[in-house]
Amino acid sequence: MSIAPKALRSLLPVLVILALIALVPLASPSNRFLSLAISAGINVIALYGLSVLFGQTGILSMGHAALVGVGAYASAILARDFGVGFWLALPVAAIASAVFAMIVGIPSLRVGGHHFVIMTFAFGQLVAIVLTNGGDYTGAATGLDLTDHVTLFDADMTDLTRYYLMVVAFVTAAAVASWAIIHSSYGRTLRAIRENEKLAASLGINVGRHKIGAFVVSGVFAGISGVLLAYFLGHISPSQFSSFPSIYLALMVMIGGARLIEGPLAGGILVAFLPEVLNLDPVQSRIVYGVCLIAVIMLLPDGLIGGIVRALRGLFAGKPKPETERETAPSEARQ
Amino acid sequence: MKTVLKLAASAALCLGAFARPALAEDNIVKIGVVAAESGSFVSAGHTLPAGVGLAVKQINDAGGFKVGGKTYKLEMVKRDDRTDIATAIAATQELVRDVKVQAIFGSETHDFTLAMAKITQPAKIIHFAGNSTLAKILTPDSVKPGGEDHYLFQSEPQEFQRSGSTARGVLTLLEPLLGFKPKKSVMIVGNDATGQFLSSYYFKALKAEGQDVPDIIFYPPDTTDFSPFLTRAKSLNPDIIHFWYNGDSTLTALPQALELGAAKSYFLFGVDPGIWKEKQLSADVPVAMSCVPVCWGESSNPKAKTYFDAYFAAGAPHGVTSSVSLLYHDYVHFLVEAWQKADSFDPDKTVEALLSLHHQGVVSDDLTFNPTHQVTHATEVCAAAPGGDISCSMQQPPAEAPKS
Repeated sequence: MSIAPKALRSLLPVLVILALIALVPLASPSNRFLSLAISAGINVIALYGLSVLFGQTGILSMGHAALVGVGAYASAILARDFGVGFWLALPVAAIASAVFAMIVGIPSLRVGGHHFVIMTFAFGQLVAIVLTNGGDYTGAATGLDLTDHVTLFDADMTDLTRYYLMVVAFVTAAAVASWAIIHSSYGRTLRAIRENEKLAASLGINVGRHKIGAFVVSGVFAGISGVLLAYFLGHISPSQFSSFPSIYLALMVMIGGARLIEGPLAGGILVAFLPEVLNLDPVQSRIVYGVCLIAVIMLLPDGLIGGIVRALRGLFAGKPKPETERETAPSEARQ
Repeated sequence: MKTVLKLAASAALCLGAFARPALAEDNIVKIGVVAAESGSFVSAGHTLPAGVGLAVKQINDAGGFKVGGKTYKLEMVKRDDRTDIATAIAATQELVRDVKVQAIFGSETHDFTLAMAKITQPAKIIHFAGNSTLAKILTPDSVKPGGEDHYLFQSEPQEFQRSGSTARGVLTLLEPLLGFKPKKSVMIVGNDATGQFLSSYYFKALKAEGQDVPDIIFYPPDTTDFSPFLTRAKSLNPDIIHFWYNGDSTLTALPQALELGAAKSYFLFGVDPGIWKEKQLSADVPVAMSCVPVCWGESSNPKAKTYFDAYFAAGAPHGVTSSVSLLYHDYVHFLVEAWQKADSFDPDKTVEALLSLHHQGVVSDDLTFNPTHQVTHATEVCAAAPGGDISCSMQQPPAEAPKS
């Protein structure tokens, strides 16, 4: 895989932003802020997976929180039944979520569009129902406790600042992985499918295999996000992975912008901190998110970040350029 | 690129603005409250700061309290968890690490409380929560000195006690109104963490009272159309349908049940007779209600009227579950008494004092914690006759859990 300097340059802003985010503890932020930032960061990791699915492949999943839940429950059950710690739980939970994602992805071979969105929503609900009625194994509606601590080189990562930095590192890894996918031939293939499935198939692309592959990739991100969440909260329950959290994830990625590398980061931070900064209650938050979503769909189809980049280009270069031009056309897929 | 750097720098500066120094003032003891003052759990959530706030005011108006020869006053620092676990955790982190509270009250949501305890307990913060589901983690091992929940206290009776006293009270009050001894009961329960946990105990309590309970029907939280569940219940021809546990959902379900004629009588868990009167509800069959733990609309508890007069005068709204405030109000007074007895704010000495005290509260003249940090007291059950008369009685809890 050869990566053009232009492509490398597109990663730089995200890395700079993440480096600045990593420096935030130097400003001695409140623990409330750090805690909310950790929650937001964990969401952002899942959003990078969702952006591969939605932004690159064009498949919208409304059951993504359920995949996060699979990762979270896998880590909690591994710790409880087998004494498996955080670092080993990460790959195992990622695989578990990827397998579940593959199962969710199979119907996408037969149905698409709105029907598939409804199916993923139903999957999310189904997972919550199974977890709620799973008896002692899943802790039923009460959920599961996770008492183990995360350690790294003998350092206890329970400290909020350390956990924050670890989550920032995972977000960076997720951003780089997402960027690598976008700029790989695999990413171009996914975009070809997104733009015109029939045309892509006529070019010899195995559309079904790649669609399921996109689900598997998004599942890996979700699984890792779930492990981080379970160890951060120390307690998980089915309500955290039901339909509402899935809708919020989809909302975040749409508001931030699913096709750009900065989008998930912006969406995750915005949705996590908007109620905090504006002191909105949950009802007001939903109204604001709804208005934002309508505005983004109508005015900024590339999301907030796409809109900002376009506006800046217009301002400084005097020549607006559609953000989608930064991506490759379907014909590139076979390069 | 310059623009991007500028934007990123501005964002980092903005985020840094959240930084706050820890607060510290002499003679002021801070206690934290984490409760759902907005979001789906607001009905029970708003009662928590109202109850704690009233106790704080009472203690401060009485001149504060003395520890180590110094007089202290209380300050309540409340945080809205927005019925969102990430916010609840962030609020707890803030109260424990930034505000440095001496104790935390809340939350009313079971899984939030468990996640909060993961922060409060390592920090040795005394933590009171009115969730009977805490029984799952409050074990002799976990509460012993050095145990992971040594500083956690359950301010609601153990569920077998609450369920036992409620079941006995419901059957005792409904029998004369029905004119016969009820034999068959069906439970309709919200299918969430609290509903699943509570209903398993109430089922056993009804069986222990000799009831035939052919089914527990679970409905998804936020259900508004109860007809499928009520039709199923009606087909079992019950003497009593027990709506358990969410008071708000129950008030939605009851009119549908009455219209359908689903049972000969009903029991509404967590619905205060005060709401029954305020909403001018009526039924052509007997309806029992229970409060957690004492009712405000009608009560047989002599201290309840004084408490609720002060509670509502302080601005708290009349709610289905206003009485939940008592699961917190009494324990602020209890905690202050423990600090005075220990003559110290040291958390270990405070725990010792809490376990040794017999506190005179509104709920009971003899509030005590058992060795696993759980309280025991009676539950009030009331019944509305078809004519509208309401009678109430305090039901003492059973000494032991049912065998099966």
